[in-house]
Amino acid sequence: MPIRDEQLQLFPRGPGAGARLLIYVLISIAVIVADTRFKVLGGVRSALSTLLYPMQEAVQTPLAVYDTVSGFFVNHAQLQRDNARLRQRNLDYAGAVLRYHDLEQENTRLRTLLHAHLRTPLHTSLAEIISVPRDPYSRRIIVDRGSQDGVRAGQPVMDEIGLLGQVTRVYPYTSEVTLLTDEGQPVPVQIQRNGLRTITFGLGTDNMIDVRYLPQGADIRKGDLLVTSGIGGVYPAGLPVATVANVEHSANRAFLRVECIPKAAINSYRQVLIVSDVPAAKPVLPVAGNKKQ
Amino acid sequence: MTFITPKGPAIPVAANRLLIVISLIIGLALNLLPWIGTIQWWRPDFLLVILLYWVVQQPRRVGMGAAWMLGLLTDMANGGVLGQHAMAYTVAAFAALMLQRRIINFNLWQQTLQMLPLLLVEQLMSILAATFAGHAFSGIEYFLSVLSGTLLWLPVSLLLQWPRNATRAADAS
Repeated sequence: MPIRDEQLQLFPRGPGAGARLLIYVLISIAVIVADTRFKVLGGVRSALSTLLYPMQEAVQTPLAVYDTVSGFFVNHAQLQRDNARLRQRNLDYAGAVLRYHDLEQENTRLRTLLHAHLRTPLHTSLAEIISVPRDPYSRRIIVDRGSQDGVRAGQPVMDEIGLLGQVTRVYPYTSEVTLLTDEGQPVPVQIQRNGLRTITFGLGTDNMIDVRYLPQGADIRKGDLLVTSGIGGVYPAGLPVATVANVEHSANRAFLRVECIPKAAINSYRQVLIVSDVPAAKPVLPVAGNKKQ
Repeated sequence: MTFITPKGPAIPVAANRLLIVISLIIGLALNLLPWIGTIQWWRPDFLLVILLYWVVQQPRRVGMGAAWMLGLLTDMANGGVLGQHAMAYTVAAFAALMLQRRIINFNLWQQTLQMLPLLLVEQLMSILAATFAGHAFSGIEYFLSVLSGTLLWLPVSLLLQWPRNATRAADAS
C-alpha cells in the first residue's frame, strides 16, 4: 500500500501550481461577472453574511466591555460637569421646543389651507456601526440591525447632525449603509437660503461631496446650507446634508464646480439613526381613481 | 558535548491544524474591526499577512484554495464586488508558493522585505478587479496599507512561531 498522506508525499500529484492559479482566477472572474453584471449572487451574500455575523459581534465585545468599564470609573467631577451641561442644554432646547410646537401647528394649518402634503414626524431607530470595510473604493459601513429588526433597503440613515446615507443591502442580522460620500451616490437637495433645487454626488473621498450640473449663473455661495429636498421620496425633506465650501466659476466649463462638506460626522460616531416610515411623496390622482370605478 | 546542539536556524515543528484555523479566524476578525478616521489608510490586511505566513510555512496545507475562500469572505465583509479579493488573494498565495523555498531560508528581516512585493501584487490585483467592475481608482493612499502590512510580518511570524517553539521545547525535555 502506498502512503496516501499528503504531508508525507515526496512528489505531490494533481495539477501544477500554474494550472491551479488559472482555474482559481477564471472562477474569480466568473464570480465577479455574475455579481456585477447579472446580480445573481444575493443568496450567496446572505448566507456568507450570516456566517460572518457572530464574528462581527465577537469583535465588538472588547469595545463594549471597554465602554462599560470606562463608564463605571467616571469620576464625580466629570459627572457633575456633564450634568450641568446637559441641564443647560435641556433648558435651551425646552424654549426652542415650545416655539417648535407652535410653529408646527401653524405649519400644519397653513399646509392644510394650501392643500399641500403634511409633514409627518420622523421615526428613527438606533443602530450601531459594527464594521467598516477595509476597502478604499467603497464608503460603506455595516450596522447591527437587519431584516429581523424591520430594516428595509432604501431607508435613509442619519446621525443627530445630518444625513449620513442610505441602507443599500439588508441581511438577516446586519445591513449595509452606503454613505453619501460613496462615489456617485446622489442626494436630492435644496439650498436652504433660497430653495434652489439640485443634486449632490459623492466623490469617493471622505469629507467632500460635489454639486454637478448647476449653470454658471446659479445663486449658490460659500457657506450655504444644503438640506434634503424630499424629491424622489427616498429621503425626508429638511435634513441637513452639507455646507458649501467652495464655488469655482470657470469659463471653460459648462457648469459650476461646487465642493461641499457633509454635515454629518461621517467618520466619528459609532451610533447611527435609521429613519423608518418615510412619507411616500407620491402624487395622488383622484380623477384616475374615479374613472376606474 | 556542544556538537549535539546544531547550529543555524531551528526548523519549527509542523503547526497544529487548530493553530492555523484559529489564527486565520483572528485575522478575519481583526479585519472586521471598525477603524475610524485617517488611520484607516494605514490599516493593514491582517488576514492576508497571516495567510501568507502559513503559505510560506506550511505550503502543503494552506494554499490557493484556502486563499480563494478567505478572499471571498473578505469580499463579503467589505460589501464590495464578490470575487475581487478572492482573485487577489489567490494570486498573492501563488506568488508566495513560487517564492516559498527562498523566503523560508531568509532570516526574519529579509523575510519582511520579501513581503512587500507580495502585498503589492495583492493590492494591484485588487485594484485591477475593482477597475474591471467599474470603480475608479481613488488615490495613492491606497498603498499605505502595503507598508503597514509588510511591517506586520514581524509580529505575526514571531507570535505564530512561539507556540510551535514551545512544543519543541516540551518535546526536548
